[in-house]
Amino acid sequence: MKRIFQHPEEPATGKKYWRSLGQLSGTPEFKGWLEREFPQGAAEFNGGDVSRRSFLQLMGASMALAGLSFAGCRRPEKHLVPFTRGVEWSIPGKALFFATSYPTRKGAAPLVVATYDGRPTKIEGNPAHPVSKGATDLLAQASILDLYDPDRSRFFLEKGKPSDTATFEKALDELIKGAGDGTGLAFLLEDHASPTRERLRGLIAQKLPKATWTVYEPLGSDLADEADGVAFGEGLAAAPTIEKADVILALDHDFLGTDGDVAASRAFSSRRKVEGPDSKMNRLYAVETRYTITGGIADHRLRLPASQIGGFAAALAVEIGAAAKDAGLDALARAAKFATASFDPQWVKELAADLVASKGKSLVLAGPRQPAAVQVVVAAINAALGNIGQTVTGRKVSEKPAQSLVQLARDLADKKVKTLVIIGGNPVYNAPADLDWANLQAGVPTVVRVGHYEDESSVNATWHVPLAHYLESWGDGRASDGSYVSVQPMILPLYGGWSDLDVLAKFAGLPKPTGPELVRETFAAVAKPADFVTAWAKFLHDGFLEASAALPEALTFNAAAATKLVTAGTAPAAPANGSAPAAPANDSYEVVFIACPKVDDGRFNNNGWLQEVPDPITKLTWDNAALISPKTAKKLGVETDERGTADIIEISVEKRTIQIPVLVSPGHADGSISIALGYGRTSVGRIGGGTGVNAYQLRTTTAPYFAVGASVRVTGKRHQLAITQEHGVLEGRGADLTREATLGEYKESRDDKTYFKTMGMDAHAPKNVSLYTNPPLNTAESIDPHAWGMTVDLNTCTGCSACMVACQAENNIPIVGKRQVIDGREMHWIRTDRYFASEGDKDLDDPELVSQPMMCQHCENAPCETVCPVNATVHSQDGLNVMAYNRCIGTRYCANNCPFKVRRFNFFDYNERKLTELRKWNLISERGMEDSLKLGKNPNVTVRMRGVMEKCTFCVQRIQEAKIATKVAERDSGKVRIPADAFTSACAQVCPTGAITFGDINNPESAVSKVRVSERGYRLLEYLNVNSRVTYLARIRNPNMKMPGTEKIGAAMKSHHGHSEKHEAAGATGGGH
Amino acid sequence: MANIFPRGSNLLPIKLVICGMVLVPAVTGAMWYYFTPKYTRVGYQPAQPVPFPHDIHAGQLGMDCRYCHSFVEVAAHSNVPTTQVCMNCHAQVQKENPKLAPLWESWKTGKSIEWVQIHKTPDYVYFNHSAHVNRGVSCVSCHGRVDKMAVVYHAEPQSMDWCLECHRHPEQALRPLDQITNLGWSPPLAGDQSRADAQEALGLQLKKDWKINPPDMNCAGCHR
Repeated sequence: MKRIFQHPEEPATGKKYWRSLGQLSGTPEFKGWLEREFPQGAAEFNGGDVSRRSFLQLMGASMALAGLSFAGCRRPEKHLVPFTRGVEWSIPGKALFFATSYPTRKGAAPLVVATYDGRPTKIEGNPAHPVSKGATDLLAQASILDLYDPDRSRFFLEKGKPSDTATFEKALDELIKGAGDGTGLAFLLEDHASPTRERLRGLIAQKLPKATWTVYEPLGSDLADEADGVAFGEGLAAAPTIEKADVILALDHDFLGTDGDVAASRAFSSRRKVEGPDSKMNRLYAVETRYTITGGIADHRLRLPASQIGGFAAALAVEIGAAAKDAGLDALARAAKFATASFDPQWVKELAADLVASKGKSLVLAGPRQPAAVQVVVAAINAALGNIGQTVTGRKVSEKPAQSLVQLARDLADKKVKTLVIIGGNPVYNAPADLDWANLQAGVPTVVRVGHYEDESSVNATWHVPLAHYLESWGDGRASDGSYVSVQPMILPLYGGWSDLDVLAKFAGLPKPTGPELVRETFAAVAKPADFVTAWAKFLHDGFLEASAALPEALTFNAAAATKLVTAGTAPAAPANGSAPAAPANDSYEVVFIACPKVDDGRFNNNGWLQEVPDPITKLTWDNAALISPKTAKKLGVETDERGTADIIEISVEKRTIQIPVLVSPGHADGSISIALGYGRTSVGRIGGGTGVNAYQLRTTTAPYFAVGASVRVTGKRHQLAITQEHGVLEGRGADLTREATLGEYKESRDDKTYFKTMGMDAHAPKNVSLYTNPPLNTAESIDPHAWGMTVDLNTCTGCSACMVACQAENNIPIVGKRQVIDGREMHWIRTDRYFASEGDKDLDDPELVSQPMMCQHCENAPCETVCPVNATVHSQDGLNVMAYNRCIGTRYCANNCPFKVRRFNFFDYNERKLTELRKWNLISERGMEDSLKLGKNPNVTVRMRGVMEKCTFCVQRIQEAKIATKVAERDSGKVRIPADAFTSACAQVCPTGAITFGDINNPESAVSKVRVSERGYRLLEYLNVNSRVTYLARIRNPNMKMPGTEKIGAAMKSHHGHSEKHEAAGATGGGH
Repeated sequence: MANIFPRGSNLLPIKLVICGMVLVPAVTGAMWYYFTPKYTRVGYQPAQPVPFPHDIHAGQLGMDCRYCHSFVEVAAHSNVPTTQVCMNCHAQVQKENPKLAPLWESWKTGKSIEWVQIHKTPDYVYFNHSAHVNRGVSCVSCHGRVDKMAVVYHAEPQSMDWCLECHRHPEQALRPLDQITNLGWSPPLAGDQSRADAQEALGLQLKKDWKINPPDMNCAGCHR
């Protein structure tokens, strides 16, 4: 008896959830994505010149040819090749885990890396380290792919001609011999807090005292450091303790995303784990230009152009000054010269009141790339709120200050530099446009470039030296909490590259290190251990030195220095004449240079995983775009249509021009244009080539974060973008998928345990009655007592997408390329659905946002299983919906029958074929994976081929490994139950906020079985009786009821709730059941 | 109008049917047998670079399997010994034997000996040795009487059907954990009990006590 669910008409008022503007207007393209698993064209043959008919003819002929020789039937002779001498610790086929860390400008990320037979294959966070606690961000996850990138620099190049390491070393020795006292020698490095590097810097300064040392990061925290130095004194930096704050205001600070690290995400979410009606949670206000994941999780959000953030901060300071009776703050705020900002005065008033009400337990964060004056005003606000010493603590800066890039550029222009040593970085690409770095660098007689890629900065270099990956080299660093961490190699440099320490050691007059000797020396100096051998072994084993985190320093706000900075108008946004920068006016726009959450500053541009993971908010892949608000788009007369074809606009700032496609993004500030940096590389590998537009061309030393006064011209040209926001849309609306409530509503519902379980269709549909019984699944008393399940907490999921990359790394998921993404063929087993929510059709410019990770729900009554003609997808007793790849014949019936649209089909042999030649006819095109990429595959997961369906397996390889490990350990004892939470899935392991929990739901000890029974728990599409194994926990918002516009948040789900509106008749049925 | 077909062709359909009835089962049967591992793999006996006699080492000398295949109890893969392991004895024993020349060569140059693989599971099969030998399945169940082989050959078909046979009836293979590498072991017989009955009785007991529950319907047990 087929039951047809007629979704009730959505009420005209009340909250609507939508993924794209196309969905709201009900375009045929959106319907295509909704109604078909494979939308129009996606399932077609698409064979280029070969039609289906001629394909069959050709296939027939080739089968006949193949039949002529039976030699192919014999199994080829394979060899077993053992070591000649056994290797310590190594067991063939078993993983070894090493602690290391990934050096970044935000501090080294502590990691544990799995290696199989000497090949690193998977990165996890270091569970013992307080910064990581097992979590990583998506960049650290993806960094392993860079190690195996076939486009990596492989050769030493002298003036572009291949050379070798010995010749380079000889040339380097000559260079150092002739360096004298270092006059004319300049070093340019990236910002890594490495004590060994600092030590070598000291040695170099002794030997070559005149040499200069420059550190440049295009997305660095120079302005924040400057502001902290002024506000709190030189050598001190402010560090927020987010977990202590009850009320947080993020002023253009994406601390959960590009501006923060996993520790910040965890600290924030630790106060949002709501359980039981008496629970308390923190409240987050976000003021930002574009939607970030921080704004997405915020309870209140105000969109404001980046140039007006200063004005907002000043207005807030005035309000707080009045409310807290702090005349100093008031004076400082009034002295500041910021652009006037336009916003609802009620908003800032109530915000100020809320902050003052939680004095000492509030926290205001300013974006680290906002002008120093803005950050100083925010420091003053924190001081006035009594947060210093409470939610803001001090920390000593461990590095000596380095020379700025601007100063180095001046030296270069004055021809003072004879030898420039560039280690890492890519200044030709990412230096401010007004420096004209390419020409400056070309004027230097000798350039030694040590880099991962033969990139823009290597083109004219005298020497190009391959830089060893961090998984190939010895080193050390400081994590974001200041603790001392180790960097140790998992593998010898694949292409004989040198590490930064190798090069610097030569300049310091030491031999090129062959092992950890430099780091050992530093460790001895830092740790001063009584027993060096034991301490060193423990340091490498743990990956960090215990109790080495920076101690909190007392901070005192220096009002006089702050006032001086603020009144001096050193804010780079302020024009030279001292007048306030103009707010975005009618035909003048503001351009904001944002950090890309995927390719960072461009260093990950050739990383296929990161290029293909959709941006957490815009869902854009393989490109960057000019993000503008719907209103601005209307004014300009441009659009991004439903297929992702975007109008190209020309943006001019002070005679510098770029042409870039627009992406209309709801929630963006009007009159402002955000462009992600890191794209449009000219000298990059096969993955990054041709992706996006280089926004560094508009970025200058005076306007490093945002430029005002930009003019825009519509070119009339168009560009195809690959946007995944409409891919995999589910039938069912609003409350069927994402459920939420305000904290108040949640508390009111304390007596109603079914509150979150009866929303949307679940409030209307009649009770499910099964006519069939399934074969029994495992119970707690079965011989095999396991039953796997997962929970996803929407209250702590920020949508950062680290789980997507972790899954890709764990499960050998291929990338498919931009063209295939446009056709909806991306292969991610877990995707992050992003929903906007707005009141009816209003507020499209300023919607709310919910992120929802979506993976195979492992339904106990799985619709996919019943339609498979070959039993390739079946159910296991422990509750997994398993795929047997070798049985699958690719009918795709299962995918068509999956209500969650989580099944992925290998339309082409993505692993074996070049992405540019996918459509070439199978028998004549080149096959084979690059050797280096083979090394990085997880040996425990099949690499799938063309024509095979795949999907989330709940990391079945980890489940089996844990089961076997338990049995091997217990042998004949009969205790076959895996200890609770002995392992977890890749997505749950990586999650910085702990939103995903995975484990044995039959084991009462396991975390998942405890979370699963939460009152907030609900299952998707319950009314279909699919009986899924994944439980989502509803999101709770904590709005300030006095804020303007709160009534909308309060009214959130009411219209979807069965208790307020019954639609009994709407749950229509298609037959007598 | 003259008949187009001769009279004899009246019987053609029935001839075709009978012919088909013979031919189709014959072809099917032939494929069934000759295209399966039972025929293609069993008896595969390649020459090895060093003619290592398992019958002398494991049989006559009574060396334990785990002396060379040292990680069989801890890893999925049962390792082939390193040159170093051979040299533990052969640095002293049979030093001059010309058959050991490749071994000395390997020891001196550091280049591995390339043993020819005999037992090979397809890429999509994840067989785990440690899961079997720690839970009462002997080497002999899958590899035959290696202690009697001068040159090792493929003794069992190792097809999926063959695997499942045992996964459905593990009692036919289970034995005490201290007898795993004793390839000649047989269950103690009570009275005039047949060997099969004794094995069955013991196996059922062990299966119950140790909670032996091999994946028999769960594809993901072996395919991931």
